Amino acid sequence: MTQEAVTLTIDGKEVTVPKGTLIIRAAEQLGIEIPRFCDHPLLEPAGACRQCYVEVEGQAKLFTSCTATVAPGMAVRTQNSSEVVHEAQVANLEFLLLNHPLDCPICDRGGECPLQDQALAFGPGESRYVEAKRTFEKPIPLSPLVGLDRERCVLCARCTRFCDQISGDRFIELFARGAGERVSIAAGEDFLSPFSGNTIQICPVGALTATPYRFVARPFDLSSVDTVCPHCSAGCNVKLDVRRGKVVRHLARDNLDVNDAWLCDKGRFAFRFPDDERRVTIPLLRDRGLEPTSFGEVMDAIGDWSRGKRVAFLTGGRLADEDAYALSKVARTAFVTNDLDHRREFAGGEAERLAAVAVTDRALSVTYRDVERAKAIVVAGLDAEQEVPILHLRLRKAARRGARIFVLNPRRTRLWDVAEHVLCRPGQEAHVLEQIVDGEGGDSGVGRAADALREAGEAGVVLAGMRLAEHPLAADVALRAARRTGARFSLVPRRAGDKGALAAGVHPRLLPGGRRVDDPGERAEVEAVWGELKNVVPGRNAKQILEAAANREIDVLFLVGVDPLRDFPDARLARHALENVPYKVVQSLELGSLEPFADAFLPAAAFPERDAHFTTWEGRAQRIRPVRGPAGLSRPDWEIFAGLARAMGGSLGFESLEDLQEESVGLLSPRAFSGGASAWVGAGAPQWIDELTLFTYPLLVDEGRLSEGASELKAALEEKPFLEIHPVDADKRSIADGGEVRVRTQAGQAVVPVRVTPDIAEGSVFVPFNQPGLAANTLLSGRFTAGATVEAVAAAEAAADPERLTVGGGP
Amino acid sequence: MSRGEQRPQDFLGGLAAAARGMGVVIKQVFRPDVTERYPQQIDEPPPRSHIGRHLLNRYENGLEKCIGCELCAYACPADAIWVEGADNDPENPVSPGERHAKDYQINYLRCIMCGLCVEACPTRALTMTHAYEMAFTSREDAIFTKEQLLEPPLPLGTAPGTQEG
Repeated sequence: MTQEAVTLTIDGKEVTVPKGTLIIRAAEQLGIEIPRFCDHPLLEPAGACRQCYVEVEGQAKLFTSCTATVAPGMAVRTQNSSEVVHEAQVANLEFLLLNHPLDCPICDRGGECPLQDQALAFGPGESRYVEAKRTFEKPIPLSPLVGLDRERCVLCARCTRFCDQISGDRFIELFARGAGERVSIAAGEDFLSPFSGNTIQICPVGALTATPYRFVARPFDLSSVDTVCPHCSAGCNVKLDVRRGKVVRHLARDNLDVNDAWLCDKGRFAFRFPDDERRVTIPLLRDRGLEPTSFGEVMDAIGDWSRGKRVAFLTGGRLADEDAYALSKVARTAFVTNDLDHRREFAGGEAERLAAVAVTDRALSVTYRDVERAKAIVVAGLDAEQEVPILHLRLRKAARRGARIFVLNPRRTRLWDVAEHVLCRPGQEAHVLEQIVDGEGGDSGVGRAADALREAGEAGVVLAGMRLAEHPLAADVALRAARRTGARFSLVPRRAGDKGALAAGVHPRLLPGGRRVDDPGERAEVEAVWGELKNVVPGRNAKQILEAAANREIDVLFLVGVDPLRDFPDARLARHALENVPYKVVQSLELGSLEPFADAFLPAAAFPERDAHFTTWEGRAQRIRPVRGPAGLSRPDWEIFAGLARAMGGSLGFESLEDLQEESVGLLSPRAFSGGASAWVGAGAPQWIDELTLFTYPLLVDEGRLSEGASELKAALEEKPFLEIHPVDADKRSIADGGEVRVRTQAGQAVVPVRVTPDIAEGSVFVPFNQPGLAANTLLSGRFTAGATVEAVAAAEAAADPERLTVGGGP
Repeated sequence: MSRGEQRPQDFLGGLAAAARGMGVVIKQVFRPDVTERYPQQIDEPPPRSHIGRHLLNRYENGLEKCIGCELCAYACPADAIWVEGADNDPENPVSPGERHAKDYQINYLRCIMCGLCVEACPTRALTMTHAYEMAFTSREDAIFTKEQLLEPPLPLGTAPGTQEG
């Protein structure tokens, strides 16, 4: 389908653009700059600021070029060729500046302000206005993150349109009319959208400012680097600003293939962790206590302890692709072990292997663009807003373009207004997805999802979140549903390094490129680069590693950017494991709760200090760049692994990042998925023996390590612990909304405030994974779901209970 | 004419030239002295001169004029000025308005006394003084803190390094 083309002239220059193009966009194509404030290419036209006047021949009045579309033969004259337009623009700027305070010296936008720039370029230079300017109370905190200065506002409505059209969190709106018109928020409300920071960035004046950046720096103070956000697998392109070596701001960069122009508030405001005071930047070795030492000494000590011993590696999801590759190689060559894992959920199966293979089959890969253009989307086991926020915005964009979206999740997500939700009890996902595969379900949400996917064909997308990884079959059934309907499929991991670690083979069964360690043919491809692998038996996964450690079957445990006590869904097992391993090596930014356990500490460089890549959930590798050198003695993780290989008497075979990339490119480059469908027997309807199923996942803003120091972000978006329960289940137990309940599982118990809500599947209860005062992993036994009982706690008992909001040890 | 032979008129002409030369010397001896006997005797520069150290001014009510806007730092061609802005506590403001300078430093090893910072200042908070005595014995001493810059300069001749011995 070719779009109709329209030819017109602007300032006498001819240009041909698709029908429906706005005049201002056509002018951009010719390189003609028309001043504008309210116009934003990703928002609907508003025509609010009246700055972009142009003259159209044959028309009596001036047009606003941001709202007028082109017509064939139109002759447009801008300020460059029309004195009338020039005068109108000068007059309009004078008008916009009537009530604008001249406080540029103290305004955070000063120096990078579109109003400043355009007043200089197109403005009158002097104002004839002599009366007193309109004043408002200021600054008004819309939330702990966003401050509003109404005096500076030019009422362009960019912020309110963003909230309306992009994020769907309609907290702010233009109130009143005429001279009293202003941006406002309902009384007593806070601007608690996880995308609120974007309104600050698109504000064309300094009316919305970021509290964490308030009065912190001026544009000329900053050294900047274009890099990628490390917080989740969305891979948003960010600009990182540093003042005197200290990170002071993250801004979104425009990339229409990834994040459009947006960034979530965690990506924008959780930037202080590299400068956190708890960070350790010197190697430590346990003597009497943990003593500072040199890298050489600590490497030698680790080498002495590890030679010929049983070694295992656990990592978090924050390793860059190069680090993951170096780890995969050092573990298998120097330490001769397959006991390494980056996961916390244990899916295995075809879907995960497919995710590890950089697929060349277009039908089996999904990009943001595919999501945007899809006609039908099934999102299973994923709360996109909380887990991969920018994907959430893409899903909303798809919905605006007419896609039908179905969410299969135990909890209603913030796609509630644009998607149909199928709430299912955790563990039931596989069964529900099976109905989609078989085309059952009739006139239910499931049936409609199946029909929509079938109708969409190639324009269908199935996104499987990590919640599906809990069930041994669910992700594979989702994959089968996609194949059956011709839809595209993707497994969406949560953390920035997950996809890279999987592809690099930080996995007990998989070598780089998804090659199976016990398949001689696939292994040979890796051995051609790495040399012969002595250990060809698939290793233990993270849970098995901890169990083995607790049984004293592991001598040396490497904890790379992970704290099992906090991250692993079984706090007691993690503690047993740490207590029973003779030698523990921690490689991270800081020690945290591992301080009593660490025998050696290797300081790693933080992401603003190094060059590497992160792979997004789509499989797109994007480069992160350093804006400063490594703090203290810290080193990039891959260098530490190379040093460990030398300490073990070997070598990884690369001395520079370039060598590493050159070596790994062959093993990680795209290849077709071979190895047919996995053996699959129907999942069947699950039978529950437990009264209720407790499930948990981390919310966007929690006590995670990378949110350290982001006090304003936490004040705005971090929730206190809570438990969600369906009204039917609550009624049975006489639980009232707002009270407190005691939740018991096999592993432990806790007293938490309760929310009774129909937005959760019957038979299930939800607690967030890691909120202040409640570490949900003390309720879990190795999985992110658990059988649970819930009972109301009388107010008096709750007040007297010393264990209130804490978690007991016993069942 | 061989060497050593001098005619009488040459001799007289020589005397006259010497006398003229001595005349210049004697005249200079009785002219007023332009050498300043610094530091034993210190002459005050003209009252409106701005040849020396900066001063951060205050309003009459004691509030600082500086709002921490950093325009001086932006104007500075030698990158000698460091400013950090911060919020004013409404109960206990440091300066009028929302913003004040939490930190303000000028490095006099870098400063070239060009005065562009003074021109850039939107509140006339920053001016220069006549205190040209800036001798330092360490790099730290050469960096003036906000507290030092808020203080009027010491009278000439009392600054460290101006005393003999």
